Amino acid sequence: MSAFENIGEFEHMVLLAVLRLRDEAYAVPIRDEIVNCTGRDIARGSIYITLDRLETKGYLTSRFGDATPERGGRPKRYYELRPRGLDALRESRRALNALWRGLEATLA
Amino acid sequence: MIWKFLPRDLQDAIAGDLTEEYADIERRRGRVRAQLWFWSNALRLVIAFQWERRARGRPLPPIADEAPQHLSFLETLRQDVTFGVRMLRRQPSFTIVAVVALAVSIGAATAIFSVVDAVLWRALPFAHASDLVFVGEQRPREGRVNGPVSPADFLDWRASQHSFAAMGAASGFALNLTGNIEPQRLGALAVSSGFFEALGVQPAMGRVFRLDEEDPGRSHVAILSDGLWRRAFGARPDVVGTSVMLNAEPYEIVGVLPADFWWPERPDVVVPRAFGPGDRTQRATHMFPVVARLAPGVSIEQARADMDAIGRRLAEQYPDVNKFHFPQVTPGRDIFVGSMRQPLLLLMAAVGLLLLIACANVSTLLIARATARRQEIAIRQTLGAGRGRLIRQLLTESALIAAIGGVCGVLIAHWLVAAGAAVMPARLQNVPGLDRIAVDVRVLAIAVAVTAATVLLFGLIPAYTAAGRSTMGPQQTRRIRAVLVVGELAFSLVLLVGAALLGVSFHRLLQVQPGFETTNLVTMRVTLPLAKYTDYAKTVRFYEAFLGAVQHTPGIASAAVVTMPPFGLQDSHSNFIIEGRTAEMPYPVRTRPLAVSPAYAETIRMRLVRGRFLTTTDVDSAPAVVVINETSARRFWPNDDPIGKRISFEFGKPYWIQIVGVVADVKSRSLDLEPESEMFVSYLQKEVVAGSVRAMTAIVRTSLPLDAAAPLLRRAVTNLDKDQPVGAIRSMDDLVADSVAATRMNLWLVVAFAAVALVLTAEGLYGVMAYLVTQRTQEIGIRIALGASRHEVVWIVLREAGAMAAAGIGLGVAGALAFSRALGSQLFGVSPTDPIVYAGVAAALAVIALIAVAVPSSRASRVNPISALRT
Repeated sequence: MSAFENIGEFEHMVLLAVLRLRDEAYAVPIRDEIVNCTGRDIARGSIYITLDRLETKGYLTSRFGDATPERGGRPKRYYELRPRGLDALRESRRALNALWRGLEATLA
Repeated sequence: MIWKFLPRDLQDAIAGDLTEEYADIERRRGRVRAQLWFWSNALRLVIAFQWERRARGRPLPPIADEAPQHLSFLETLRQDVTFGVRMLRRQPSFTIVAVVALAVSIGAATAIFSVVDAVLWRALPFAHASDLVFVGEQRPREGRVNGPVSPADFLDWRASQHSFAAMGAASGFALNLTGNIEPQRLGALAVSSGFFEALGVQPAMGRVFRLDEEDPGRSHVAILSDGLWRRAFGARPDVVGTSVMLNAEPYEIVGVLPADFWWPERPDVVVPRAFGPGDRTQRATHMFPVVARLAPGVSIEQARADMDAIGRRLAEQYPDVNKFHFPQVTPGRDIFVGSMRQPLLLLMAAVGLLLLIACANVSTLLIARATARRQEIAIRQTLGAGRGRLIRQLLTESALIAAIGGVCGVLIAHWLVAAGAAVMPARLQNVPGLDRIAVDVRVLAIAVAVTAATVLLFGLIPAYTAAGRSTMGPQQTRRIRAVLVVGELAFSLVLLVGAALLGVSFHRLLQVQPGFETTNLVTMRVTLPLAKYTDYAKTVRFYEAFLGAVQHTPGIASAAVVTMPPFGLQDSHSNFIIEGRTAEMPYPVRTRPLAVSPAYAETIRMRLVRGRFLTTTDVDSAPAVVVINETSARRFWPNDDPIGKRISFEFGKPYWIQIVGVVADVKSRSLDLEPESEMFVSYLQKEVVAGSVRAMTAIVRTSLPLDAAAPLLRRAVTNLDKDQPVGAIRSMDDLVADSVAATRMNLWLVVAFAAVALVLTAEGLYGVMAYLVTQRTQEIGIRIALGASRHEVVWIVLREAGAMAAAGIGLGVAGALAFSRALGSQLFGVSPTDPIVYAGVAAALAVIALIAVAVPSSRASRVNPISALRT
């Protein structure tokens, strides 16, 4: 058992999407990013709930950004990975890589 | 507002995100879709967060998200359903009784609703049907409304109105189709130009009639119905432009109607109504229903004002004939389905009562069961089941019963609708919509809604009583059940009174003497074509030869012909004048003239009151004579003897006809209508008839059954003219039965509902009383041990049951008094508050209640004090 809790597949994807989007990571582009990269249709509700859950677990931090007129004057909520989140991703990747090793031929 | 249901710290961000995406979707897919998208997503988010909070609570426990959030809800639902099924299977008798009660009532409600939906609520089968109106004649003095219109009045109306985009007249008749095919008698419709425009009907092929085709020289064009086009012309696409022989004359086919064209008479073929010079002055004969389409922006009130002005002007211009009647503008729906509304709403109310009774019944069963399950429920509560959770469990069981009942109910409805269509009385078949009755998506939606409502109605009280905050004592649950049984009794009584009133009314209707002997009479309609029977003498020769042949057939006692047979569909009225009469009559001087062969009175066995009937010597060379009925005598000669008086159907240059006899009234259209003025003239006197006798109904009195008489009659016609088709051959008893068929169907439905209601109520009462006895076994045992007699014990049970029955019957009588007022228009010969009916029904219900408590009370009297006390 590592020092990190397991993250689920979907949490994994959300964390990666946040990372890829850098300064532009709020719910709408996060969902777009996942949809575009994976081709899966993702419910908005699961994005919000997962972001919320990841923040509770301490993997993400959030701040309120600018409120534009096209958003009806409401601010965006930007997310950013905390070191703990980065570590969790690294750990998850390491674990998966270890498990993948030797299976390339079987699952190619 | 909806954001309130989201976590507070996320509200703004989520709302902003959705607003942002909304703007994008609105640009790409339009405002409506974007709105739809926005609200459905907002709702889904709220639901997602609600699940999240329920399932995990927020702040969220740090667990991974392999499991979908809502599984827990589905899981409990699955558990509830599994458990519920197990419970229902453990008590099959309870389940069967509850399911049958619900299935029968939901089935009946769904079936009736499918009829109401098709007839009353769905649009008429016309384009923009709300603009479609009828313009008829009202005759305030005779209390007649929406009467047919005379040709000259129609032409004047159409020429001078300013309110309608189109106005057209129609009259049904019959045409003979001949040529290379087997001769057929076709239902035909003669329509003015403007008729199809008023209905908003576009032909499937070809065109509708032009105004110049109302000219008798140009009117030989025809439009086929879809049915005839397929049946007789093999659906040939090039049929327009070809020619067809109708009544032995060539007609050019100019169009084919769409398959969904609908008109009460269901014509096979439509031809133009030619207006000759005679029609343009004909105001005394009323023959057309007139349809019109309101011009854009014109209200029905404006149209009424317009037509009123025209009517007043015509009344001034032609006081002789137009003084007593005025145009009347009525919405199309009122005309087409107006007569169906009352009976259908009545059936809806009846079926609603039945549904309530069934719900109350299942409710009492559930309460009894919940009481029996008190132990189980207590254990569950001890183990930590919340009140909401218990109610949900019990409601799930109710929903299961309702769902099974609902599915069976829809199957029953499906079957009822199919069976109903098969036994539909012929007279009802020209109500629009009745041919479209189906258990379709709309009806299913209602069935589902009704089923859901029943769950709440019958399931909520038992669930609440069983899982109440402070569990209710047996006293309280018994009281609730008693209230439900009283309700059942009251509703049953209302239904039973309704059924009894309709039954008495129908019985009285059947006892009405039609004024002639209907048994052993067979009728056959024959329409001779104008092209072949151009002159009057030839027409009469045909019928005389026909009657001569038929009369000499063994098994046929006598035969006659008449233009409008009793209980037939033909109807026409004429104005007349009375010689020497100048004082204004209290009634318009109008009658229903029938041309008959002299043997008519003898054949149908009409009773002669005074003078003589028409004879074979009343021919053209003899004096012109007429026989009148008693209503005419009473109405037009109230103070003197009509025999010897003279009347004329001609106005300008009177042609006087002498009255030689008075016959008893005959019910000529329907058993429940008062007889009207009728006058009989001999079809052998051409000048008296002054009309056409080409279309006649042959009536024969025969000892032969219908199957044997029909070929004889048909052969008698074809022997004279091999191309001459005949109409349907029916017995007079059938025609009379047809005239009351709708009433009869209504009656049977209500009786069936009432019978089911009675069974359910008796069962409910039995259940409550049986439970009471079980509950008080100990007390009864003690009473017996202390010396109470068996009678006193039985009295305990009877007193309780009697109180319920009295309350139920009392409430029911009050309800029935209120409800039956709406029934008044459906009743014949019985008052909606008839005391005998009420007393009889109340007594019958009391007896049923007594039978229902007989078993529990005898069980009480047989209680063994020793064993009762030991338990």
